[in-house]
Amino acid sequence: MERREFIRLMAIAACFTPRMAAAKELPVVGVATGTDYGKITRNAISAVGGMKRFVKPGDVVVVKPNMGWDRTPEQAANTNPLVVRAVVEEVLAAGAKKVKVFDRTCNDERRCYANSGIQGALKGLPNVEVRFIENERFKKVLLNGEALKEWELYGEVLSANVFINVPVAKHHKLTGLTMGLKNIMGVMGGDRGKLHKQIGPALADVNAVLKSHLTVIDATRILTDHGPQGGDPADVKIMNTVIASTDIVAADAYATTLFGLKPADIPVTVAAAKRGIGEMELKKVRIVRV
Amino acid sequence: MNRTPARISQLFFLLLFLGLFLSTEYRGKDEIPAAVNSFFRADPLALATWLLAVKSFTLLLLPALLVLILTLVFGRFFCGWICPLGTILELVTGRIVKGKTPPWLVGRLKYLLLALLMGAALAGLNLAGILDPLAILLRAMTFFAHPLAGDAARTGWVGLYRVMGESRDHLAPGYSLLHDYLLPFRESSYPLAVLSALLLLTVILLERYGKRAWCRYLCPLGTLLGLLSRFSPVRRSPGRICGDCGECENVCPTVEEGKMPEGEECLLCFACRRGCGRSRVRFWFANPFKLRERPYLPARRFLLGGMAGGLLFARGLRWKSAEARERLLRPPGVRDEAEFLAACVRCGECMKVCLRSALYPAALQAGMEGLYTPLLVPRLGYCEYHCTLCGQVCPTGAIPNLPKGEKEREVVGKAVFDKNHCLPYAKKSNCIVCEEHCPIPRKAIRSRVVESLDLNGKKISLMEPYVVEELCNGCGICEHVCPLEGKSGVEIFGVKDKTPIAVAVAAKPAAKVRGGDEDPYK
Repeated sequence: MERREFIRLMAIAACFTPRMAAAKELPVVGVATGTDYGKITRNAISAVGGMKRFVKPGDVVVVKPNMGWDRTPEQAANTNPLVVRAVVEEVLAAGAKKVKVFDRTCNDERRCYANSGIQGALKGLPNVEVRFIENERFKKVLLNGEALKEWELYGEVLSANVFINVPVAKHHKLTGLTMGLKNIMGVMGGDRGKLHKQIGPALADVNAVLKSHLTVIDATRILTDHGPQGGDPADVKIMNTVIASTDIVAADAYATTLFGLKPADIPVTVAAAKRGIGEMELKKVRIVRV
Repeated sequence: MNRTPARISQLFFLLLFLGLFLSTEYRGKDEIPAAVNSFFRADPLALATWLLAVKSFTLLLLPALLVLILTLVFGRFFCGWICPLGTILELVTGRIVKGKTPPWLVGRLKYLLLALLMGAALAGLNLAGILDPLAILLRAMTFFAHPLAGDAARTGWVGLYRVMGESRDHLAPGYSLLHDYLLPFRESSYPLAVLSALLLLTVILLERYGKRAWCRYLCPLGTLLGLLSRFSPVRRSPGRICGDCGECENVCPTVEEGKMPEGEECLLCFACRRGCGRSRVRFWFANPFKLRERPYLPARRFLLGGMAGGLLFARGLRWKSAEARERLLRPPGVRDEAEFLAACVRCGECMKVCLRSALYPAALQAGMEGLYTPLLVPRLGYCEYHCTLCGQVCPTGAIPNLPKGEKEREVVGKAVFDKNHCLPYAKKSNCIVCEEHCPIPRKAIRSRVVESLDLNGKKISLMEPYVVEELCNGCGICEHVCPLEGKSGVEIFGVKDKTPIAVAVAAKPAAKVRGGDEDPYK
C-alpha cells in the first residue's frame, strides 16, 4: 500500500469511527422473507452491509453449507442449493479469487454432494471449487477450550481469507436444533461422535477460535422433527426465510424462534453466548427485516 | 504382431472387460448404465450351475443361453475370441519358459472338476465362481490389483501434500481425472486379496505346461464349452498336421506336442488357416450325421461319480460356527441363505461397487461353503439407505435388483444394543450418534429421556437409546458410527425372518412428540 493511500484511508476511517462504535453496540440480524430464494438470500446479506463488507477482491473464500446427508433439497436436511448458489454468486461478485465449497459428510460424500443439489447448483460457476474432503488437509489446532484442548480443523478453512457459514436450520435430537454454531462440525476432523458427550462447550471452543465472518441461515424450509436427517415430508415446514448476521449466536438465536423455541432452550447457543462469541438475547439485537 | 480377427476381437473384449470393470462404480447417478456383469450374464458355466442349483430360469442369463447355443453350432469360439483371461494368457505365454506337462494334469482332471461343480450345484451349492475364469480375473482385480493401485496413487498424492503443501492444488485436475475414472473412490483393503491374486498367478504360471494350459487342462468353463462343441458340425480340414509343412503347429494357441487340437480343444481362432503357407486349411460344416469318431471322453461312470462326489462335497462344507451364523449379514434383498448360495457366482462385483465398502468376501465367516460370498461388515462400512448398486450389478439376481423404495425396506439384520458398552447405559453420558445417523425417516433407533445419576452420583437427564424392531432394516450405520473404540455399543445381528419393513409402518405419519418417547407398538 502506498503511504499516501494509507493516510487517506486512515483519514476516512477516522471520520467513520465514532459512528461505527455507536453501531457496534447492537449486532444486526438481517431477516429476508419471500419465495425467490436467491433474492431473499441477497436481501438478507445486503441488510447486514452487503458482501463487499466481508469479501475483498482477490480473497479466497470458504462457503460452508450443510450437505452432510444423502437427502434431497425438499427434505430439509441440507442447505437449500438456491441459497448456497446465491451466496457463492455474491462472493464472486465481490471479487473473490476463489470460492471453496465443501462439507465433511455423514453419508457417502458423492451421494451427499449430488443429491443435496449443491454440486449441481454450482456447476459452471467460474473459480468455484466443490471438492471432497481430503484427510491430509486436517491440521491440529490449539483451542485451549473448556472441553477441547485441541482438535483437527480443515486446512482450507484455516488458510481462507473469509469463512462464510451457510447452515440449514433444523431439528437435532441431541442439541435440540442445529444451525450455524453446529454447522462448524463439518470442518472438524477426528472422531466427531466423541464430542456428543459435551457438545455445547465443545462447539463453543471451536467457534471461539474459528470465527464465521458471516453466517447465512437457510430457513426457506425447516425440519421440525427427526433431525438432523429427517426424510419424512410431514416434518418439513415451509418458512421462506433467510437469516444473515456477522454474529453467529444472534443468527442462531433468531432462527430458533422459527421453531417456536427460545434461544435459551438450545444448550449450544447458551454455551456460545456464555463464552462471549455472540449475543443470544434478541432484545439486544437489531433485526432488519427485508 | 498377431493381427488376426480373433486377436483383434480378443483385445476388444479384454478392453471392454477392463472398461466395464471401471464403470462398475458410483459416478453421481443412482443407476449404473453398464457394468462388468454383462460378461457373467454371457457365461454358460454360470448359467449351467445356476440352472442346476436354483432349478428354474432367469432372463438375466439369456445371453449365456445364446452363447451356449452358438457353441453347439460353431464350437468353442468363446475361448478363442472373447474370454479376457484367455487373452491375457496368450499375451504372456511367450515370456514363460515351457516345461514338461505332468501327466495328472492331462485328460480326466478337468472333467472331474466340472462334474464336481455340477454335482455341488445340484445339491444347491453354486461353487462355479470359485474356478470360473472371469471370476478369477475379476476378483484378483477387485480385491488385489485395483485397491493396490488406488492405495499407491493415494499415498503418492498425500506424500506430495507433505512436500508441496497447498501448491499441490496445481496438480489437482490431473489427479482428479485419475481418481475419478481409473482408481477406486475409497481406499479399502479386502480379505482374501492375496489368495485372489495367487489364484490368478497360478493360472498364469500354468502356462509353463503349454500354451493356454489352464484353458485346456482345468478351466471348468472351457471344459463345459468343449463338451458342448462336440456337437458342433464345424470341422477343420486337414484334420492333422501335414507331413510336408507343419506351420500350423507354430501358430496354433492350443497345439499339443505335434497334435492339432480336434473339435473339443479347438478355439476357432483360425490362426492355422491364416498361417497355412499352402492355403490348405479350411473350416466348414461337416455333415453332422457323418462325423468321424468323437475324441476321448471319460466313462459315464466317471462323470456320474464326479457328480455324486459333488453332492456329498456340498453337504460336507455345510458347517458354520455359531458366531458365523449370528453375523451372517447378506447384501440387502437377500432373504434366504440357501437360495443365495444357489445363485451367487462369487464374482465380487457387489463388493467392487459397494459405495461405503461395506461388503467383503467371506473367508470362513460364512462357513466353508460361503468362500468368497459377500458379507456386510457394519463396523467397516454400512449399507447406504438410498443406494441400490449391489442389486444392479449382481449378474445372476442372487442380490435382487430392487427399486429404491423397496430396497430401503429390505432387512439385512436387526440392531441390538449392548448396555455394557453403550455410553448412556455404561458411562451415563449422552451420545445418540446412532439415532442421529439412523436413516429411517421415523427412526428405528430412538431414545427416551430419563432422570439418572451419573458416575459421580450427580443428577442428570440422560437419553437412553432403544431399537424399534419393526422399523430397523439392519443397514448397520449405527454400528458403523458408534464412537466407542473397539466393540460398538450397538450391533447388527442376522435374523431368520427378513420380511421387509411394512409400508404401513414406514409411512405412518410421525407423531409430533418431542423426546421421541412415543410408543411404537401402539
